Amino acid sequence: MIAIAGVGTTPFGKLPGRSAWSLQAEAVRNAVADAGLTKDDVDGLFTEPQFSEPLLLHGHVLGRMLGLKTDYLSTISIGGATAITLVQQAAMAISAGLCEVAVCVYGENAKTGLPMLFGLAQMGRGQADDIAYGMAGGPVMEARSAMRYKHEYAVTDEMFGAVAVSFRHHATMNPAAMYRDPLTMEQYLASRMVAEPLRVLDCTIGASDGGVAIVVTSAERARDLAKPPVLVAGMGAGHNLDGLKDPAHYTHFAGARSSQRAYAMAGIGPQDVDVAQFYDCFTSTVLITVEDYGFCKKGEAGPFALDGNLKVGGRLPTNTSGGMLSEANMTGWNHLAEGVRQIRGECGARQVPGAEVCVVSGHGGFQAAHATLVLTKGGR
Amino acid sequence: MSHTMTELVVGTTPVVIEETRGFWEGTLVGELRVQRCTACGARQLPGGPCCSSCWSRDLVWEAVSGCGTVFSFTVVRHAFHPSFADRVPYVLADIRLDEGPILTSNVTDVAVEEVRIGMPVRVWFDEPIEDAFHTPLALPKFRPE
Repeated sequence: MIAIAGVGTTPFGKLPGRSAWSLQAEAVRNAVADAGLTKDDVDGLFTEPQFSEPLLLHGHVLGRMLGLKTDYLSTISIGGATAITLVQQAAMAISAGLCEVAVCVYGENAKTGLPMLFGLAQMGRGQADDIAYGMAGGPVMEARSAMRYKHEYAVTDEMFGAVAVSFRHHATMNPAAMYRDPLTMEQYLASRMVAEPLRVLDCTIGASDGGVAIVVTSAERARDLAKPPVLVAGMGAGHNLDGLKDPAHYTHFAGARSSQRAYAMAGIGPQDVDVAQFYDCFTSTVLITVEDYGFCKKGEAGPFALDGNLKVGGRLPTNTSGGMLSEANMTGWNHLAEGVRQIRGECGARQVPGAEVCVVSGHGGFQAAHATLVLTKGGR
Repeated sequence: MSHTMTELVVGTTPVVIEETRGFWEGTLVGELRVQRCTACGARQLPGGPCCSSCWSRDLVWEAVSGCGTVFSFTVVRHAFHPSFADRVPYVLADIRLDEGPILTSNVTDVAVEEVRIGMPVRVWFDEPIEDAFHTPLALPKFRPE
C-alpha cells in the first residue's frame, strides 16, 4: 500500500519577483518538512513543467537546483490530469522498488511572470490548427461541451452558477484562497459572458502564481512519519484522445471508466465517498464529473448542485478549498493538497466532519485526459 | 483569462504538414476534403499518418458535400488572443459533416444570437492566405443553408 506522507504549498496569487522554479523549490521544502523527512530521504522526483516553459528536461533542472540524488525521475505534461498521473507513477515506482520517497511537484508564476503557452507549443505543428478559427483559450474549448450539455439535459444557467457559488462559499473559509468574498447567484448571473454559455465566473482563475508538492512513500514508511498517513487506496485513468472530434465526448468524459477503476481498486463505491475534489476548470466540467463518477444520473448533477449538495454539509462536499474557481489555478495540484488535508482533518471551518474517503479527479489536455485517486485515512 | 495566455503561440495561421496537405490543397480549389481509408472505409479529420481505425496507410483525400449541421458551438465574446480582438463576438462551431467527421470552424453570415444546435450549414472558403512556410491555404467556414 502506498501513502501520501507530506503536502506542501506556497502562497497563491500574485507573487511578483518569484520565479516558477522558486515556487517549486518552496513547495518541495514545505512538503518534505511536513512529512518530517529531510532532503537526503528523497530519492524520486516527479515533475510537471510550468506551462510558461514546457521543458522536456524539466525534472533534470529542478532536481539539480534542489541538489537531489534521484534513483527515479519523471517529467510529464498531459494537461489537468498530470498531478494525479504523477502521483500514480510515483506509487508505481515505489511499489516496484525503484525508489522509496518520491516528491511530486508543480509550480508556476504565470500571474506575474511568463505567460502560459498553449496550442502549438503543446500539440505541435499542424495539430492545433483550430486556433485559426478562434479556438484560443480554455473557455472557448470547453464552452462547446457546456453548450451541448445544456442542450441535451435542459441544464439552466443557475445550475452552473450553483457550482461557482458553492465553491466560493468554501473559499471564504480558506485563508489561502485568491477569491474569498462571498458570491451570490445574482452576482454570478450578472458576470460577463466570455464564451457562451460560460460566464467569467464559470471559468477557472486564469493564472496564478504558486506551487504544490506531494510526498509519496510506502504506507509502512509513512506510519512512523510526522503526519497521519493518507492512503492511496484507489487509482484510475482514462483518455478520450479524440476529444471533441467524437460526438459522445461532449457530455461524457473519460471520468466514468477512470473512477470505476479507482473505486474497484479501493473496494468502494460512490456511496462511500465523504468529500470530493473535482477538477474544476469550468463549472460544467464539475457537473459532468459528478455524473461520470456515479453520484447522479446523466443530467441530474445540475439540480443536485442547486440543492446545495456540493457544499460542506451537503451530500457530496466538493472542492472544499474553493478549487480552481476560487482558490488558485494550480491545474489540479491544489485539489490533491486539499484532499490530503481533509483526510487529515486539518481544514478548520471548511473541514468535512469525520472525512475518511476522498475522491480526487484530474481532467484536461484538451479534454482528453482524465485520472482519479481515492484517498483514505490510514492507521498509525 | 489573461490576454497574454496564448500570445506566445506562434501565430494563429494553420501550419500545413504532410498529414494535412491534402485537406488544405482542396481548400484552394473550392473542395472540402475528408481523409478516407481505402482499406476499411473510415473517414477522418484532421488528417493523420494512418487510419485511426485500422492503422492502414492507404489514405486518400476525397471531396465531400460541404454540408453539415451545427453539433455544438460557442459565441466568443472575449478575445483570448490579440488576433481576435476585432472579431468578437464570433461563433466557433463544431460542424458535423453529413459524411460523419466533425470539423471545427466558424459560422458566419448570421447574427450570433441566431445560431442553434442542429442548424444546417454549408461550407464557403475564405480568401487564400499563407502559412509560416509560405504554403497557401484557405480557411473553410460555414454559413446557414
